Order: sequence, then structure tokens, then C-alpha cells
Amino acid sequence: MARAPRDRNNPGMASLGTRLVLFFVALVVLVQGIGAILVIRSNGEVAREATDQALEQGERVFQRLLEQDRRRLEQSASLVSADYAFRQAIGTNDIGTIESVLRNHGARAGADLMTLASLDGVVRADTMEVSRVGHPFRFPELLDAARDSGKASSIATVDGRLYQVVVVPVLAPEPIAYVSAAFEVNDALARAFGQLTGLAVSFVEADRGGQWRVEASTLEPGLRSQLGPALAAAGGTARVGEIGLGGEAYETRLSTLATPGPSRVMAVLQRPVAEALAPFRRITATYFALTLAGLALLVAGTLVIARGITRPVRRLADAASRVQEGDYRRHVDVQRADEIGQLAESFNHMLDGIVSREAQILRLAYEDPLTGLPNRAMFQEQLAKAVDAARAEDGHAAVLLFDMDRFKAINDTMGHPVGDQVLRDVAARVRAALAGRETLARLGGDEFAVLLAPGGDERGARAAASRILAALEAPVAVEGQAMDIAASIGIALFPGHGDDAPSLMRAADVAMYAAKRAKSGLALYDPRADERRREHLTLLGELKRAVEAGELVLHYQPKISIADGAVEGVEALVRWRHPVRGSVPPAEFIGFAEQAGYIGRITRWVIEEAVAQCGRWQRAGLELRTSANISARDLRHGDGLVDFVRGCLEREQVPAGMLRLEITESALMDDPKSAQSALARLRELGVTTSIDDYGTGYSSLAYIKQLAVNELKIDRAFVSGMEADQRNAAIVRSTIELGHNLGLAVVAEGVETDHELGQLRRFGCDFAQGYHFARPMEAAAFEAWLLRRRAEAVPGSVGA
Amino acid sequence: MSRFALSIAGVLAALSVHAASLDVQVRDASGAPLADAVVYAMPASGPSEARGARSAEIEQIDREFVPYVTVVQTGTAVAFPNRDPILHHVYSFSPAKSFEIKLYSGKSPREIVFDKPGVVTLGCNIHDWMVGFVLVVSTPYFARSDSTGHARIAELPAGRYELHAWHPRERSSVAPQSIAVEGAASSAFVIDAAPRRPRYKPPLDRLKY
Repeated sequence: MARAPRDRNNPGMASLGTRLVLFFVALVVLVQGIGAILVIRSNGEVAREATDQALEQGERVFQRLLEQDRRRLEQSASLVSADYAFRQAIGTNDIGTIESVLRNHGARAGADLMTLASLDGVVRADTMEVSRVGHPFRFPELLDAARDSGKASSIATVDGRLYQVVVVPVLAPEPIAYVSAAFEVNDALARAFGQLTGLAVSFVEADRGGQWRVEASTLEPGLRSQLGPALAAAGGTARVGEIGLGGEAYETRLSTLATPGPSRVMAVLQRPVAEALAPFRRITATYFALTLAGLALLVAGTLVIARGITRPVRRLADAASRVQEGDYRRHVDVQRADEIGQLAESFNHMLDGIVSREAQILRLAYEDPLTGLPNRAMFQEQLAKAVDAARAEDGHAAVLLFDMDRFKAINDTMGHPVGDQVLRDVAARVRAALAGRETLARLGGDEFAVLLAPGGDERGARAAASRILAALEAPVAVEGQAMDIAASIGIALFPGHGDDAPSLMRAADVAMYAAKRAKSGLALYDPRADERRREHLTLLGELKRAVEAGELVLHYQPKISIADGAVEGVEALVRWRHPVRGSVPPAEFIGFAEQAGYIGRITRWVIEEAVAQCGRWQRAGLELRTSANISARDLRHGDGLVDFVRGCLEREQVPAGMLRLEITESALMDDPKSAQSALARLRELGVTTSIDDYGTGYSSLAYIKQLAVNELKIDRAFVSGMEADQRNAAIVRSTIELGHNLGLAVVAEGVETDHELGQLRRFGCDFAQGYHFARPMEAAAFEAWLLRRRAEAVPGSVGA
Repeated sequence: MSRFALSIAGVLAALSVHAASLDVQVRDASGAPLADAVVYAMPASGPSEARGARSAEIEQIDREFVPYVTVVQTGTAVAFPNRDPILHHVYSFSPAKSFEIKLYSGKSPREIVFDKPGVVTLGCNIHDWMVGFVLVVSTPYFARSDSTGHARIAELPAGRYELHAWHPRERSSVAPQSIAVEGAASSAFVIDAAPRRPRYKPPLDRLKY
């Protein structure tokens, strides 16, 4: 949750977009880069080739130009050599004429130097230096060549200057002399050649020391001085190569010039590499510009596409965040036909699935599957809310807690499917009985709860409880039998009985048990009951002490045979003579002892004491069958109980038939199976058994029939209600008949009046017990009562 | 071989009585017959008083000097008749005889007297390729080799001579031979001469001059 906002605000879109952009940019840069490398490299190669070609062409042009110049010189020399007057002047050795002709023709042809040499190689006239006359011609090899082939040419230095020299013989018609024409190879010539070839043209001469001297050049003086060393550094022999001059690279080509002599005069033809590269630089620049523009478009396009992807993805992510926060209701609004659209559709389907599953989970978590009612968790939640609301609004809330008084018996004897059916039935009835605003929940087992809020004041709660009780009044039909399912309802109110949901639930629980104990149907929580409960805790300690300290005593109530008024036996009833409180009634500590798991100890004490008393009476000549009460819990440990009983009987030497153990019908129903086997064992021992408080436990006939019991004791509630309600009388009567039909003796408890006794007699009841005859009394008092009765009622005045 | 031939020739010459003739075979360095070589005999007794022909003719035919080589005795007047339908301008700047006969056609406007011994190179100022040679010798006894390299000096009085050989394209001068002529005699020369390189001569029908 903590990272959700950041995730939303710094969504994956940027990173996805960035990644896409980076990927494509990298791709394009890579491809374009490779392309650029290839282009630049091939550009360089092409440029170099172009330069080489330009140089080659330039060289051809250059050589052609040189050739043309040479031809011009030759023509000029030939012209002068063919001049008749000139030849005549030579023939007559007219030096003055010769010189003037030479000057004249030299000027006409633009030659810088005209020389006449004799056939034997001696200078006879020179337009530049008269002092040369009489000396050998500078280039004798040219004379030889001219004689042999009619003309000869060379480029050579004369007095430190470079000249193109042409020599032709003077024919008259056989050679009579040689004419040499020369013009200086200077910067002007280099420039002229440079303009025509488009190259930088230099003329260099290598001396014997390997030094290169620049004779003429189109290069600026600064560069010119660098050319020589650069050539020397390049080895001087390289025909083609790159030379750096003034920081600029020059593609250079050396062109050898015709020199018959040893001097190496060469033309250096150069082209700046930059010049050749210039168009390629433009192409490269355009290439990069296009690449950059393409990249920009790519980035923009990729971002647009990425946004097209990431915007709906972000919407999905937002939707996912909403889901994370629990909002499943809003669908993602992405209407697209592509994969993202499908994803959104799937996402929406998923949302629907989550919504329905969550509803199901909620239902499972908060609903009781059996009845469809809210379960305990939901009830507690709602109760807590209601309490909060009531607290905030000064309102009321009420908790009604109830369970079925005899549900366990139904469940155990009829099986769970029947029990479940009963529960469903109960749920349906109570739901129908309630107004609808209340929350009805099944807390578990047969325990139900109702939340009343609003309207949860005492009056409303009681009204609701009454409606519930009324709804449950009618018996349920189970397997063709009508079974009573009376409920006990405990009511707890807010404010008053608790400040929060748990305390209210506990209070309702206390009230419910109070209602059960009181058999009052419903009970409002009574803080005093709670106090009593706390007292019970101290009571437990006291009770333990009481058993050991002999504070418990047995009181005996006689059981009278209705037919003859004889005292058939006694029922031993435990009393607690508390040193402080006085006599504590069993209702106040037996139930408690049962809950506290201490009842077994009390039961044993009772049995032991009852058997002992029976033995004492027997020894005193009183044959009194003595009854002792055992609880449901005692039956659960049936073996131990049987052994204990046997031990007591043997110790007191009391016949087993003299002991009768009474067990309440409801206790039997608590654990019918254990009860059945325990009772069977007791009968084997010879102990007689009796079902106490019959009519309250919802036992079925089928069940009773299986039990090894000797006697039914009709609950006092029916007996004492006979006079008021004819129905009770009917129950008593049918019970008596039932017992008899099953071969059981029937005892009516709580007989207080003659009328009751008379009715019971008419019904054929076997025995009666009650204040009508005697209260429970201590052994001594009983003995006294018995003696008095025997004395009084010799004729047996029980009747009437 | 040639020396052997020479010695035989010497013997034969010695045998001639009064008027004899001298046959000379001229070859080049490779042994091939050499044409246009000139042989002339100088009497050992000094310049001869005998006089040969006092005139000669060098024609211009088809823009060539004919003959190519001419030998004349000193003092001979040479005419240069022009047989071509075009003009020629014959000249020579040679020290032995410098002259020119300006544009003319037909009969030679004048005769040139070669009064000094030596080589005279003839040219035409109009036609550069035209070349001709005149060897002026101070003896009447001379001959020019034909295409077989054979030269014959006839009516040579018996006696002792210095026999000279010359060729216009010789690379070096040839040493003269001392011979005694009696009756018919013969001799031989080997001259290292450059081959005659024909100069370019435009065809007539193309150049209407």
C-alpha cells in the first residue's frame, strides 16, 4: 500500500517509453553509425580515388602543357633555324646578325634564352650572357640528341634557374649549328599550369645530397619552404602520397620531367585532401543531419506509440491500485481492439470474478451455511458497530441470546441431519417472527443471537423475546414426531449491561443460563446473578473444603406407596451446612459443582453416605431402599461409578437392590449412549435405577425403552400443575400409563395436596413423594418421623 | 680481305704501261657496296697541270639535286638547270663556295665557278629536304661510285698517286692511299658512312606549289 502512490505517480510508462526510445535510438544510432562509418570510410576512399584521378588527369594535362610549351619552343627554334638570313649569317659567321635574329625570334616566341652553338658544341651566341660565347654549350647531350633526332629538349637549371630547353639543328640543309631556345620555369608558369590543371604545381629539383629545392611553385611562400623537407621526409621516390603542408594534407604526385642529365627535376602536383573531401563533408553533414532528424522523429514517434501503449496500461495500473484498495466496482475504460484492449477486457472480467468471489468469501466468512443466517463473526461485528452507533447517538442496543433447551438430546438421539433440520426450522421461524430490522445470527450449535438496534430498549427486547418464544412454542415435527423445542432467552442491554460487544455477549449468556435455571423462558441480565457467579468461584473452594470437613449432610425424603401408604424408601438429598451462610440449597451448588467439574466428588460422597445410612438402617431393622442422585457427568465415567458403587455396597454389606440411583431425564439426554451403557452395568450389579424429573428431558419412547431403568419419576412441575391445568393432568396420566406400559414403576414428585394424591391414585400412579407426606429430613429426624407415622397410621391413612 | 685486294691492285697497277685506268671498290663498314662515294687521285709529283672538263651541270629534278654528289676539278663552272615546273632557290653557305641563285626556273641564271677545293653543300631555300654535295678537287682524276660501289678513274697516266676517298655522310675522314698506277689498276676503300636518311618530302599531288 505504501508504494502504491509512487507506483501510480511514477508509472511504468516513463520507463517503458524510455526503454522503447532507448532501444530504437540505440538501434538507429548503431545502424546509422555503421552506415556513417562505411560512408565516411568509402567517402574517404572515393575522395582519395577522386584525388588520385584528379592528380592523374592533372598530370596528364600538365605533361601535355609541358609538351605544348616544348613544341612551341621547338617551333620557335626551328623557325629561327630555318631562317635563310640566319643561316646565311651563320654561314658567314656574322655574329651580330646572328644575335639580333636570336633576340628577335626569342622575343617573338616568348623564349627567355636563345643560344647558338656550333656543331662541335661551342657557344657562338647567347642572348643572355655574352661571356658564354666561346665556351662549351651547357647541355652537350642535347646537341647530340638534336643531331640524331632533329630536336631535343630538357628541363634543367641554368645559373640557378630552371629552364625548359629545346635544341634544334640549323640545317643548310645539312646541320651547320644548333639553336637552343629556353624559357624559365618560374612561378608564373607554375600558376598558369596550376590554373589549367586545378592543382597546386611545384617544380623541384633534387640535388645529390637528397635535398629538394623548390624552383617554382603555386604554393604560398610559407608552404613552399615546407615542401622540400616534406618531400625528403616522404622519401622523394613516392609517386603518390599524402604530405602535410601548413597543417593541411595534400595528396601529392611526383611527375618526372625529361632530363637527360643527372639532375632530378620533378613536377610536384598536389591537391588538398580537404578540397576532395569537401563534397563528401557536405554529404556526411547531410547524412548526420538526416540521421538527427530521423532520430528526433523516431523519438517522437516512439513516445507517441509508447504513450499509446502506456496510457491504457497506466489506466490498468490505476485500476489495479483501486483493486488493491478494495474498489472492485469500477471497470477499466479501455476501448481498444488490440492486446491491451483484450487485457483490459480480461481485467474487467477478473474484477467481476473478484467481486463475485469476494461476495462468496464474505458470505462464507459471515454466513452460517446451514441456516443462511449471519454467523458469530458477523454478529459480533454488527454488534460492535451497533454499540458504537448507540454510544454515539445515546441510543440503545439489545442482545438476545438463546438456545434450545433440548436440542442436544434431539441431535444425539435422532442424528445430526435431524438436528440440522430442527436448526433450519428454528431459524426460519425466528426470522419470520422478527420484524426484519433485527439481526438474527446463528452463533454455533443450537445457539442463536438477535441484535436489536435501534429499538433495543428493554421493552423492545422483551417484546422480541416474547415473539421468539411464541414462535418456538409449537413443537417441530421430526420424523413424524412432534418435539418440543423450548428455548431460553437471555437479554443484555446497552447501555447498562455492558460497554462493548464482548461484555454484552457475556451478559446475554449469563442471562440465558439464568433463564434456563429459572425455566422462565427469558431473563434479563441481572448483575446480581453475575455476582452470584462470582460467589460460586469462592464457593468452589468452600465446597471442596465442605466435602472434606463434613459440612455436607444428607436429608431424606420418604417415598410413599400410593396404594397402601407404606414407606417404600427414601430419597437422599444433599444439603450443605455452611458454617457462615447456614444451610445452602442444592440448587445453589449442585449446578455450580456440575459446571466446575466437581460433581463427581459430591456424587460419590452422597452415594457413600446414602449406602452407609442404608446399612445402618438395615442393621437397625429398617428396610429402606435408599435413592441417590447422580448427574450426567457421573454417567460419562460409568465404569468408575459402577466400581465405586460396588465398593460402597460391599463395604456396608448392603444388598445392591437396596440402592437406587436416580438420574434426571435431561442428564440422560445429555449423553444418551454413555447413560445407556452405565445404566445397563448398574442393573447388572443389581442396583435399581430411576429416571428423575421425567417430562422435562424430551426423551423419546424408543430411547426410554432401551434403558435399563426400573422407575420413572414425574417432574414436580406437572404434578403441582395438575389442579390448575388439565393438560398437566393429562401429561401425568399419560406418563403413568407410558411407564406402566414399559414395565416401570411411576413416582410422582412434589405431591403437596390430597387432591393431587387422589388424582395420582386414580391415574394408577405407584408412588408419591412430596411435602404432603414429609419434607426431606436428616436421618435422625426421618427416623423419628417414620416411627411417629408408623404409630399414627397403623391403618394406613395415606389414601383419600 | 681488303688489304689482300689492295695488294693485288697495287701489283696490277704496277703492270700498266702508259695510260691506265683505276677501278676502286668502295664498301661501307658492314661490307656493303657504298654508292655516292668519291675517289680522286692526287699525282705524287704535285698538282697536275692536266685539265679535265671545265663545266658541269647539277639539275633539279623532282625537287632533288641530281646528281646527289658531284665531283669537279677546281675552276669548273657548274650550271644548275631547273627541270621542275616550280621555282628553286639554290644556295650554299659552305666555306669552299658560298653562293645563292635566287628563285628561278628553267635554265640556270648563271653558272657558279667552284674555284676552291673543298666540300660545298647545296640546299634549296624553298625545299628543306633538298640536299646536294659538290666535292671540289684540284685534280682531274676522280670518279664517283655507282650503286655497286664501283668507281672507275679512266685515262689515268701511269705514275704514283695519292688516292683519296670521300663520302658526304662519312663519320670520319678516310686515310688516302699511296698507289702506283701502271696500266689497269684497282683499289678499294671502306668508308664508315651513315645511311642516307630520306628527309620528308611532301608528295606533289597533295601540295600544289
